Amino acid sequence: MDGTSMTTVSVASGKGGAGKTSIAAALAVAIAAIPGEKCIFADCDVDAANGAIALDAKERERFPYFAGPGFSIKANACTACGRCVQACRFDAIRKSADRQSYVIVPQLCERCGACLDTCPKGAVTMYEKQAGEFYVADTARGPTLVFAELEPGEDTSGKLVRVVRDRAEQLAGEASVIVVDSAPGIGCPVIASLSGANLVIIVVEASVSGIKDARRLVALVHSMKRKAIAIMNKTGLSADMDSKARIMLAEAGIPLAGELPFDPALRAAEESGNTWLSIGGEAGDQVKATIEAVKGVVLSMQRKKLNVVIPKETL
Amino acid sequence: MSKPQATVIAIASGKGGTGKTTVAAHLALAFARSRKTLLVDLDVEAPDVIGYFPAAKLLGEAEPVKVPIPSLLSERCTGCGLCAKSCRFGAIVVLGGVVSISGELCKGCGRCVSVCPASALGEIKATVGRTSFFMTEGLHILEGRMEVGDIRSTAVIEAAKRRAPVCDAAIQVRDCPPGVSCPATHSIEGADYVILVAEPTEFSLHDLNAAIRLTKSRCIPTGVVINKDGFGSVDIAGFCAEKSVPVIGRIAFLRSRAESGASAALWSNDASFMNEMDKIVATVLDGVSWTAPA
Repeated sequence: MDGTSMTTVSVASGKGGAGKTSIAAALAVAIAAIPGEKCIFADCDVDAANGAIALDAKERERFPYFAGPGFSIKANACTACGRCVQACRFDAIRKSADRQSYVIVPQLCERCGACLDTCPKGAVTMYEKQAGEFYVADTARGPTLVFAELEPGEDTSGKLVRVVRDRAEQLAGEASVIVVDSAPGIGCPVIASLSGANLVIIVVEASVSGIKDARRLVALVHSMKRKAIAIMNKTGLSADMDSKARIMLAEAGIPLAGELPFDPALRAAEESGNTWLSIGGEAGDQVKATIEAVKGVVLSMQRKKLNVVIPKETL
Repeated sequence: MSKPQATVIAIASGKGGTGKTTVAAHLALAFARSRKTLLVDLDVEAPDVIGYFPAAKLLGEAEPVKVPIPSLLSERCTGCGLCAKSCRFGAIVVLGGVVSISGELCKGCGRCVSVCPASALGEIKATVGRTSFFMTEGLHILEGRMEVGDIRSTAVIEAAKRRAPVCDAAIQVRDCPPGVSCPATHSIEGADYVILVAEPTEFSLHDLNAAIRLTKSRCIPTGVVINKDGFGSVDIAGFCAEKSVPVIGRIAFLRSRAESGASAALWSNDASFMNEMDKIVATVLDGVSWTAPA
């Protein structure tokens, strides 16, 4: 990723439902609206992909996603000797209903293949199963969207995140910005969403849970040595939580780009098919000011990467 | 098995932030009035249950969750590269006969150790998280917590599931992670009933669809609780009817609830809310062919 001039901004939160997708969509729309800028929205919450709804997307192309081979046991070749059960450390092999053979529970299988090596009858076979699809879509609001749908129960979401990001990078030309909407949590798909990002936007829900989860995300971002800025969301519900969130960010040394209130008007904007940028009033002003601030940071990073010399008089 | 097994109720959602933890905490309190109840936090990447119970006391010590990862005995290694070929997780690379192991990518399957013809791989234990028991008025809590920077959430989830029976509770309420991939799948596996918490938004509807497909594929009885009812106008109930999944509870959206929810305050004094919880308890017990302990 380094050595190219595209700028990748990953939006993450730790806690689910903190507002990642809505904020990422507003940011991507704002960047795409700048003349000469190109923005790709990479929806990397592949378990719960809502970017297409947020941006009103029309699918342009779709591709199958293969997660890598899984394993199954041929019942007629299995003698129920139990060696595979001994070899499996994930407790993913069980007796079949008729108790004459063993079966692999795909939901528990980590696809390591240890069973394959131990079966003396060659009853364990590999199969390649489509684990999902990924898509390129045009959106009514400007950004090009890359998103994916993982088959429920499939286990390789981190790998699918990489596939989505690779496709986004192929589409992104020089001087474009990729906005990555990450999954909740701090695990494998999140690490895949943050790795190599030029900037991480940490969305902190101003609540006990939101702050705790954001603190774990901050620790992850620091360990991955990523630059980060924060946006607080759902403020105004508890003055105490608002101040605790600010203090947490200040202590972690994460600059705060803005605070967005808990306001049903934001929900109403989504329902009428618009991003949060469309609303008026005080909440609308806060959204615009916050997105403007983040946009400024992203564009200045992009200029630095492109070595654009900004004339002194404009500074 | 001499002891009767606990009835396991998993609270899941697809979309994050719909109110899983809120529902799990209060359902556990409702169950705990009549049965020994264990609330299990399986959202190991973002464990938030304990935030609702600030007075809870740690019982005993946190137990580390360990995964065996290979360690090289270089004097025996011939550099043949079979270990790297056997690893499905890209955790071993052999270049020019030199083996390098990335412990953080290893899932601990042990395949490399068993394929090594020179017995040049041993195993050491890497800590990937911990499980802890807590006790608060009338309720037991078991928390799984993954280490920051790790990716082996399912190892922590399975460790918590294995440790849960120690509590000997009649009811286990599991607070599950969002999504429909491996952490969510492992969390609902073994449950007798899954409650999916949805909110009336387009995002939630889309993710609920995936979650219903997941629970159906596992043949686990499922009911939906509509949280923040009235916050949006998306027809979750109509969608559930289409999918033949019952709506077993509704929690009205009130700004006052959003406010106290931000502070993780319990709503045990909110009579209409706890009534709704009791109704859900009755429906769930009905749905799992429950036999009351003598």
